[in-house]
Parts: sequence; structure tokens; C-alpha cells
Amino acid sequence: MTVAEAPTAPKRPSPLARLDAGDRKRAVVIVVLLAFVLLALPGWMSAYWTDVATQVAIYSVVALGLGLLMGRVGLVSLGQIAVLALGAWTFARLSFASGMPFPIVLLLSGLITMVLGTLVGLPALRMSGLYLALITLMLAGAIAVVLTATNFPNGGGGFLGHIERDFGNDSVRRPAIALTDSAYFRYTVIACVLMFLLALVHVRAKPGRAWAAIRQSEPAALAAGVNITLYKLWAFALASFMTGIAGGLMAADVGQLFTFQFATSQNIELLAVVLIGGIYSLWGAIVAGVFFKLIPALLDNWGLPADLLTILFGVGILQVLLTAPAGLAYQFPRDMKRLGGLLVGLFRRAAPAGERTS
Amino acid sequence: MRTNLGPVWTRWILVIVAAFGLSLFTAACGGDDDDNGGGGGGGGGESFGGQAKTAASKCGLGNKKPATGEPIKIGAINTKQPGTDFSEIGRSAKAYFDCVNDNGGINGRPVQMILETEATDPAQAAAAAKKLVETDKVAGLVGNSSIIECAVNHKYYEANDYYVIGAGIAPECYGTSNFASVNMGPRHSVTGAAQYLIRQDVDKMVLLQSKVPGTEYIEGGFLALAKQEGVDTESLAEPVPIQDANSVALRIVQAAGQNGGVLLNFTPPEALKILQAAAQQGLEDRVKAWACSTPCNTDFLAKALGGAFDGKLGVNAELNLISADEPDTNLYKEVLKQYGKGISLGSFSQMGFLDARIATEAMLGIKGDVNKESVNEALEGVKGFKTDLLCKPWYYGDGPLHIPNNTDRTVTPKGDTMVIKEDCFEVSDADAPIKRVRDLEKKEGIYQPVGG
Amino acid sequence: MPSWDEFQPFIVTGLALGGVYALSGVGMVVLYRTTGVLNLAFGAVGAMGALIAWQLINESGWGEYPAYLVCILFGGVVTLAYGVAFGPPLAGRDPLVKATATLGLALILLGAMSWIWSDKARSMILPTSTENFEVGDVLVNYTQVIGVAFGIGVTLFTVAFLKFTKLGTAMRGLANDREITATLGVPVRWVEASAWLVSGLLSGVSGLLLSNLVGLDAATLTFLVISSLAAALIARLQSLVVTLIAGLVVGLVSAMATPIESISEYRNMAPFVLATVALLFLSRKGRISLSGRSV
Repeated sequence: MTVAEAPTAPKRPSPLARLDAGDRKRAVVIVVLLAFVLLALPGWMSAYWTDVATQVAIYSVVALGLGLLMGRVGLVSLGQIAVLALGAWTFARLSFASGMPFPIVLLLSGLITMVLGTLVGLPALRMSGLYLALITLMLAGAIAVVLTATNFPNGGGGFLGHIERDFGNDSVRRPAIALTDSAYFRYTVIACVLMFLLALVHVRAKPGRAWAAIRQSEPAALAAGVNITLYKLWAFALASFMTGIAGGLMAADVGQLFTFQFATSQNIELLAVVLIGGIYSLWGAIVAGVFFKLIPALLDNWGLPADLLTILFGVGILQVLLTAPAGLAYQFPRDMKRLGGLLVGLFRRAAPAGERTS
Repeated sequence: MRTNLGPVWTRWILVIVAAFGLSLFTAACGGDDDDNGGGGGGGGGESFGGQAKTAASKCGLGNKKPATGEPIKIGAINTKQPGTDFSEIGRSAKAYFDCVNDNGGINGRPVQMILETEATDPAQAAAAAKKLVETDKVAGLVGNSSIIECAVNHKYYEANDYYVIGAGIAPECYGTSNFASVNMGPRHSVTGAAQYLIRQDVDKMVLLQSKVPGTEYIEGGFLALAKQEGVDTESLAEPVPIQDANSVALRIVQAAGQNGGVLLNFTPPEALKILQAAAQQGLEDRVKAWACSTPCNTDFLAKALGGAFDGKLGVNAELNLISADEPDTNLYKEVLKQYGKGISLGSFSQMGFLDARIATEAMLGIKGDVNKESVNEALEGVKGFKTDLLCKPWYYGDGPLHIPNNTDRTVTPKGDTMVIKEDCFEVSDADAPIKRVRDLEKKEGIYQPVGG
Repeated sequence: MPSWDEFQPFIVTGLALGGVYALSGVGMVVLYRTTGVLNLAFGAVGAMGALIAWQLINESGWGEYPAYLVCILFGGVVTLAYGVAFGPPLAGRDPLVKATATLGLALILLGAMSWIWSDKARSMILPTSTENFEVGDVLVNYTQVIGVAFGIGVTLFTVAFLKFTKLGTAMRGLANDREITATLGVPVRWVEASAWLVSGLLSGVSGLLLSNLVGLDAATLTFLVISSLAAALIARLQSLVVTLIAGLVVGLVSAMATPIESISEYRNMAPFVLATVALLFLSRKGRISLSGRSV
């Protein structure tokens, strides 16, 4: 599939070298970054940017799910936004129906979405490549039609939980310990970090190796005794679980859900940002989240039309497919290193000249 | 595979050149667009401006002195996404404030308008409100119009004592103490259009609207009115964008029957699809009467229908016709011509203009410092604001809900424009919120009977 | 449940809608059969062509027919330019990569369109939309007839072309294996370029027709390909005739569901559900792969 052929896929360290020097350095960087995001950022950001950052965190988990499917297993799903909608729907329904603690509801909706998403993934067992991408897009279209007809739960009764009121819907509740925007941002980031850890554990352990084998060659994987059915479904289950959690976090963020948020066309935009971010690295998911939610906010603040972003996404898709299959998460540090080298070179050359003039 | 970067770069250069050529081409065409002042509407403005006999009102103080003091920040949030664009409301409010700034400002201080948009994303709508209130620290919110913004933000405005003047769409806009609209919103516009159908003596009314959150709220007044009048009803909703307008048009005509009436509640492009499909299938005369809520009130629609519905389609109009020769309407056309580059004449820009005009008059009346507290106090205190854009004076006040615009007209296409078919009439108080507002008006002593 | 008399007119509207799906579906399959690229920007290119025609007629004072010609040529030129620039470097890649790359083009065009023409409603009425005749109780206009006839015509022509002409055989070979075809002495680039150009002209024509049959709106026309894809998928992106029939069936099913109250709201699901069911059914005996090639 697409990504298996990528010539520049970065090599992952084998699980035996789990704690080599590079890893330790990376762990320190991540911990410092996380401490900054959790402790310093919320106090420093205005309410507006806190809201935006929460969305970035949520969508990077959605991107992580799709990135895992594409980069690790080689399965392209164009239905992840629909899965996100299912997650948000389930969370809202459960949250209105019961007084269970927030984390339990979140976990439950993740699990239910996992089951639903795996059902969507079932055709994946038989189909490959383009067909899988298109059939998931078809299913996403169908789910969008149903959601438009039924609406999201807003505190009503019955299975659908939707009631038309004249004024004011009930809001989906936030966790009791995270009622303010800053606290909810922290809560979201922690939940998202857990999802990234979950992904990391999978990638580094047996499933990761099985997925890599499937991605490179299914017949070879089969010959090597890899249970292809199991691991493909596993990948779908994992991606759907994460996306379900993201949906739950999204439902409680503003407390109101609208079908507009889950338009079928968003699946295509998600694919674009995930490709741009990079599908071989978990960092790529964060870059994707930034592209999906932070950059639009920045454009808006600079008074630029959001349509520019659509064009940028299009250019990004072509650019990634043609020249940089590993995406920005891989390309950017390399380019920066090169740029750094270039600057140092320039500086060295310029320095003597500077001495002469002064 | 990627070792030779040469061809790739040539390709990219090709793409960039092509994109550049394309943008030049469209820029050339776009230039024409601007010259015409935003398409057909702009042309209309010029001709109406030429015919105008009545002198236009003035922007603010009208002293032609540029305001130089410390700016007063005003914010607005509008929906803007492919297919749904309400940003004209905020932009035309800004156009009016720009005119005010060239005419003495708010007693010497200019108004700085901060426009935010959202793409029907609740997180974005909430963030935009927080940005305006907490980061920009705006003194007031004027010109808000969004599909979801009221639902998401009304509690926030209540908690922060902002009294918003905007153009409401979501049900919550008409159910909070802190939002007052210059329009009456889809529910009451649909009721008004249904009143027109009943006056056409139909025996059944079929309401078709876009399937968005709040459809059941919107049909509330329609159903209450039909029950009171003893007319059969059927209420249908269609997801938008409509891909099969022909089937949809057939369906509603069949549902209404020979003596029935059809009522559409859609944005102009979607309503146009259905009406065009009906015209192309020769369905105009298969029902007794056609009606449409406010969005259909644009000359563009009349022109696009090419006469097929002349006199046959009754469009509920919440605001006066653009072609009216009245002081405020003439000012509106002048402001748009001079300050509103790229904004087309129509209900949306009328609403933004009116929002800003009301806010300006309120702010000019502030004695002492103009700040968040005094601005919102002044906005809430607006009473008896007279304008020829509305049938009767507009007010805000401290009521638990606001529907100050509760009288409307019926217009119909004629040639390339809309013309008046029925002058001002009251929206029926068969609907509970209208009854409640009228009772409040009577209690306050500001009720004015209108028309007949 | 509506009576049969009430259903009848929906057959006409259903066929017209089916013609819409078939038209886009056939347009996409033609290119796929000949170059191996599923062009998901088919709708976006046509939409932009139609909007440019609108601009020329309404703002620049052009005559209608020159503007329509520009629309069709725009489709051809843009698609050809894309094919020439991005076809060769992606030629060796998986069909999915090629299809995804066309999404890039679709997004670029969509962004440009909503930037330039986002503000207000537009419509452009072809002269054929105002001329009509009666079938039973229903008025049918000539744009609807042209839509269906055009779909059938393109299908028959392409099938014959691929089967009986030298260029057609070359194109078929090309879609299967570029390298081998090239070694057989077929001028690969030229053959591919002509396929791109023809499919682009088709997208321009369908853009014009669809702007009348569906509405002149950038986002609607761009994403209409998702519904139209269903017809192409049912035909496994291979058979033009099946695509055509599937398109008509999908249109009929969703139109016939319109007057039935209980399912009317869900009728837009018809293309997706039919495609999913068909694909699952077709794949019950093993996995589907593309153009006879294992993936």
C-alpha cells in the first residue's frame, strides 16, 4: 500500500533497545514539554487560546488513530470523523443517562466506539487499498445522514436522547475536577497523553511488529505465522477506541454537539492533515492536530480567509505524496537541521567579514 | 526514487505559475465584480440612489469630522463557511461604524470593530466570544449572527452582563435576556408567512425547512397558528445541501394538493433550487399559494426565477424593501456604496446596518465615560428607536426575552426585484412567545398596534 | 404510503438524478480505466468551470455559448495540466496514492472557489432547462434528457473506443501495466495526456449540466463525487455499463423513497448503502483487488 513503499520511512528502534540514550533524551524532552503544557501554558494562554489548545489536543488523538492505521498497518480509513461522531454521540447519551463519574463514562464510550469502529473495519479484512478507503467513505456518508436525521442527544429521553426544546439545551457535563477551561484543558491533555502512551506501547510491542509485517507484505506476514485478521481488527479497534475517547472529550468541551461538526468532507481534510503531519511518527499526530485546529485560529486572527487553509491542505497532500512521504514531523527537524547548518556556515563566512568592517 | 529533485521542482514551478495565472484571471473578473458594487445588488443601489427623493439620514453626529480619540472596541461573531455566510452582517455593521468614525465618532471617539467568524463549530464559537470579551475586552457586541452562537454563548453573555444586539437565528437568541435582534428569526417569520397563506384561503399548509438543529422549534408558531385557524398542516425537513430538488419540489406539491399552500424556510440558494425545480416542472400553479420566510427576500432570487413566480410567491419580509425611498434606507445604500466594498444589498447587510445604527444612537446618549458597563447599560436601555427599516419602533429593555421586531410585510417577485404585496401586519399571537412579548409591551406601555 | 399515481413523477425525477450520478460516475471510471487514476477532483473541476462561466456571463458580459465553451475547456486544461504534471511521478504508485493526490487538487480548487465565490447564491440556467415536454403528468426539461443521454452516449462511445481503436487498446494496456505497455512501443505520455484531456472535457460538460440539475454551489458539486462514487464502486471501477445502470438505480431508489414519510429523511443514504452492500456482496468470495493486480 501507499506507505509501505515510502522510501524514507524512519526506522523504529527495536524493542530490545527500549531505553537507549536517544530514547532517554527524548523522554526528558517529552516530560519537560508536558510539564510546560500542563503547568505554564494554561496560566499564560488567554481563554481563547485555551479553547483552541484543547481542540488541538483532541484532534491530535483523532489524527493519531488514523496515523496508526495508515502508517503502521497500511490501512486507509476515510471514515474516522464519523467514528469521532459516534464517540461523541455515545458519550453524550451515556452522560445524560447516568450519573457515573466522568472517567468511567469516557472509558465506556471509548469501548462502545471501539466495537462500532471495529464493525466499520470488518470490510477491511476483505478489501484493500482504494476499496477500503472508499467503502469507509461510503459508511461515513451514511452515518452523517443518520446523524442529521436523529441529531445529538441533548438530555431527552428514549434511545436517541434528543428532545426539541424552545430555549436552551442541557449541556454535556464536564468532570467535577475540571469545570474551568484551564482545568479542562489539563484534563484533556492528560487523557490525550494516555492515548499516545497506549499507542506507543502497541507500536513497540508484539502488535507493532505484526502490523509492520502486514504492511510490508501480507503473504510474507501470513507465512511468518502472523494472524492477519486478528491484528488488522486490533488496529481498527485501537484506532476507534482512541477516536471514541476523543469524541467524549469533544462532547464535554463545549457541552453542545451539532451535526455540522462532523461533515463527511472533514474526513478528507483529516486525511490531508494526517498526511501533512506524517504517518510514521507519533509526533505527526500532534502536527496534524495543530494544522487542523490551531492554524485556522491563527489565520482567523491574522484576518486571512480560512479558504487559504483548504488550498494549503491540497498543496500539502500533493507535496507529501510526491516528495515527503514521512510528513512534516520527519521533514521539519531534518530541514531545520539543514537550515541550522546553513546558517552556521553563513555565520562562519560572514563573521570575518564583520570583523573587518567594525 | 526521490533522488533527483529537478523534475519535482519544475513541476512545482508549473503549478505555481498555473495558480498565479488563475488568480490573475479571477482577479480580473473580480475587479468587475467590485466595480459593480457586488453584483446585481450594487447596481440596484446606484439606480435607487439616483431616484431617491428623500434625503438620507446622517451617520452618528453627521459633522464630517474624523474621530480621533481612543477607540471604542465593538465585537461581532458571524457564521462563515462554504455555503453559509453571515459575515456580511458584521461587515455591514463595520461599514456603518466607519461612516460614524468619519462623522465625529461617538462624541469624538472612533469605533473599532473586531469581526470574528466561526464555521458552525461550537468550540470555535465559544472561543471567539471569550477572545472578544476577555482578550480584546470589547465594550459591546453588535452584529452577531450565527447558526449556533446563541446556543453556545448565551449563558456566557448573561454571566458577563453583555447585552448583545444582533440578528438571531438559533432559538436561544429569542429566549435570553441578553440578546435582542433586529430581525424576528425563522420561527416568527415562518408564522408570518403562514398568515399570508391563510389569507390566500388555503385548506392545507405544507412547511418544508432545512434539517438543522431547531427545526421543531421553528415549526412551533406555524403549528399553533394552524391549530387556531383550523387549517391542516404537514411539516417536513430536508437535509441541505439538496441534491435532488426536483423530487423535493414534487413531494411538497403533492403533499399540499390543489387547494393547499407551500411554505419554504431555507437559505436563498436552497430555496432557489426548489423554486427553480418547481418552475422547470411546471408546478407553480399546482398549489393554491407559495410562501417563503425572510431569506427569500432578495432581488437576486426574483431575477433568478425569471418571472415564473411573479405575484405567486409571498415572501415574508422582516425589514423594509431595499428600494424604499426613506431616510434610513437611503442612508443604508449610501453607507454601503461608500464604505461597504464587496457587500451586496440585501436583508443581511440591512440587519448589520441597523444593528450598528441602533448601537451608535445608544452610545451617543451615554453621559460620562464610554466603557463596557455604560455601553451595555445604554444598549439595554434602547427604547422607541424609530427607523423606516422596521414597521414599528425597536426596543431592548430588561425583559426575559426579546422579540422587538414582531410585525412584518409580505413581498413578491416582480421582474428583477421584490415589491410589496402586503404592508405591515402583526405576527399572530397564536404563538406563545409572541403573546408573551405583546403582553410585556402592553405592560410597559410601548405597544403600538400596526396595520390591519 | 403514496399511491402509484403519486409515485410516477418520481420515476422521472429519479432517472434525472440517476443521470447525474451516472454522469459523474462514468466520467471517473473512464479515466480510471485508461490511466489507473481515480480522479476525485472530477466534481471540483466541473464546479470551477461552471462558476467561471457564471462569472463571464454575469459580470463580464460574455455571451452564453462562449462562456459554456470556456467552462468545458477549463475542465480539459486543468485536468490535463494536472495529469501532465503529476501523472508520471505517481505512475508507479498504488491506485490509492493516485486517488489521494487528486484529493489534493480537489481541495485546492475548492479553497479557491470558496475564496472567490463564497458570498452569495448563484444560478446559471442553460437554455435547455427552460424547454420542456410532458410525459404523462410530468414536465421533463431537456437538460435532464441531455444528462441521461450524455451519460449513455459517453458510456457507449468509450466502450467502443476502448475495444475497437488502437489508442483505446493502448489505454487499456496502460492502465494494467505502464512499463510493459511502454516497452511495446506505445507512446505512453501522449496516450495518457489524451485520456486526461478527454476526461477533463467531460468534467467540464458535467459541471455545466450538474450546475443546472443540482445547483451552482462549489461545495455541493465538489462533494457530489462522494455520492457518484457509489455507482462507480458498484461497478468495481471497471464496467462503464454497470456504472451507468448503477447510477440510474441509485437515483431511482432515492427518488422513490422521497414521498414515503418514514424513510424520506434517510433517502440520501441510498448511494452509500447500495455501494456498501454491493461491495460486501462482491467480495464475499475473497478479497477484491484492482485491475487484476494484487495489491
